[in-house]
Amino acid sequence: MFKRFLVQVFCVALLNLGSPLVAQAGLIGTLQAVEAGTRAHDLAAVNAALARDQVREQFVALGVDPAEVESRVAALTDSELRMLAGKVAEAPAGASALAVIGIVFLVLLILEAVGVIDIFKKFP
Amino acid sequence: MRTGRAAGMAASAAALALAGCVAHGPQLAPADPDALASRVELVATPFFPQRDYQCGPAALATVLAAAGVPVQADDLVAEVYLPARRGSLQAEMVAATRSRGLLPYVVPPSKQSLLEQVAAGRPVLVLQKTGAGPWPGWHYAVVVGFDTLADQVILRSGTRARLEMPAARFLATWDRADRWALIAVAPGEMPANPDFARYMQAAAGLESIGRIEAATLAYEAAAREWPTEALPQLGLANLAHARGDLAGAERGFRAAIERAPGDAAARNNRAAVLLDLGCPAAARREIDTAAALADGGPHVAAVAATRREIEAATAPDRAGCPPDSAPAHSPP
Repeated sequence: MFKRFLVQVFCVALLNLGSPLVAQAGLIGTLQAVEAGTRAHDLAAVNAALARDQVREQFVALGVDPAEVESRVAALTDSELRMLAGKVAEAPAGASALAVIGIVFLVLLILEAVGVIDIFKKFP
Repeated sequence: MRTGRAAGMAASAAALALAGCVAHGPQLAPADPDALASRVELVATPFFPQRDYQCGPAALATVLAAAGVPVQADDLVAEVYLPARRGSLQAEMVAATRSRGLLPYVVPPSKQSLLEQVAAGRPVLVLQKTGAGPWPGWHYAVVVGFDTLADQVILRSGTRARLEMPAARFLATWDRADRWALIAVAPGEMPANPDFARYMQAAAGLESIGRIEAATLAYEAAAREWPTEALPQLGLANLAHARGDLAGAERGFRAAIERAPGDAAARNNRAAVLLDLGCPAAARREIDTAAALADGGPHVAAVAATRREIEAATAPDRAGCPPDSAPAHSPP
């Protein structure tokens, strides 16, 4: 019984580790707001890259439904999305044919790496 | 499964090549030659030679000392060195920088961003993945200079106080470490060409560990740099609330809402403060707007909790409650 109580106290203590020290009850902490905003920002950056016609054409050519990719991207964790947004941001805005193929491959690679799709298993 | 993975690796190599990581000719020359000086070296950067495998503490001590925090590499060993792994984790490098009241800014993963920081006078802590030499595997070093004409970078690295490394080799090792780079920024100062999201993440981290003075300076600098952004105002208002300045907090949240009328977090916080100020009717108007905006988003639970608290209050508003905030724009 006492042991169970200790476990519960410990669990509550662990949960508290994640909460900002200065945030008051009822207030959303700055870090929380930043992280929510970062996710929205990253998602917008990735979706903007995916929305380019040339990028969509490449997905179709590879047999991947662009709408499917978009919904899968939305399911990525914050850190995965961060990585993807960083890679997309590096690609030049002018989007030459090579850069487009680069973006398509990077998106597919990252989705593949996190186990969302398995496009590369289709190649011999 | 095995062939799938191999095909994936092959495609990975292809994608990296296509993305321009495997380039020929000079590596450091920027696209716009006027954007950066051709040669920079931060000669005053201190040097802490590493011992054993402890490149992490040595490299971190270098950037902290350069940012004006006197520290010895040995003091950092307990904080950022994992004996069993003979190395240091990136998250611990960030945490150790933060716990000294400096802003740990993770530099955007591009060559241009890296060189900009050096050109602005800040040595850059970088992670490298090396394949050979006395430290196979992962290595932390500090970029203290570059020379686009000689196409090389200058490092404080390991036991070498000044290591000139060909740019192609440096960029390849940095690239394999996902181009991770960190600078320590004195609070109130700005990185070169700062990225808003990365900066705010670092600043909010200072607040969350209780470095209130540093966080205040960092948010104030952000409010100057990005006057139309809501988050710096939200941060300053949260700090005002934490020191008991309810009226100041309310004004700050109102300023944040003015800049981002769709920001559910700022509205939630303003509603909570209005309740504490004795203005439950005004609080209710604000939390209703927040609830509509928060729907389906990350703040939905926090907003619902604030709303329950406000709905339990029955007293009318006292005299002299603050004016309502800007209305939320209806979607076009």
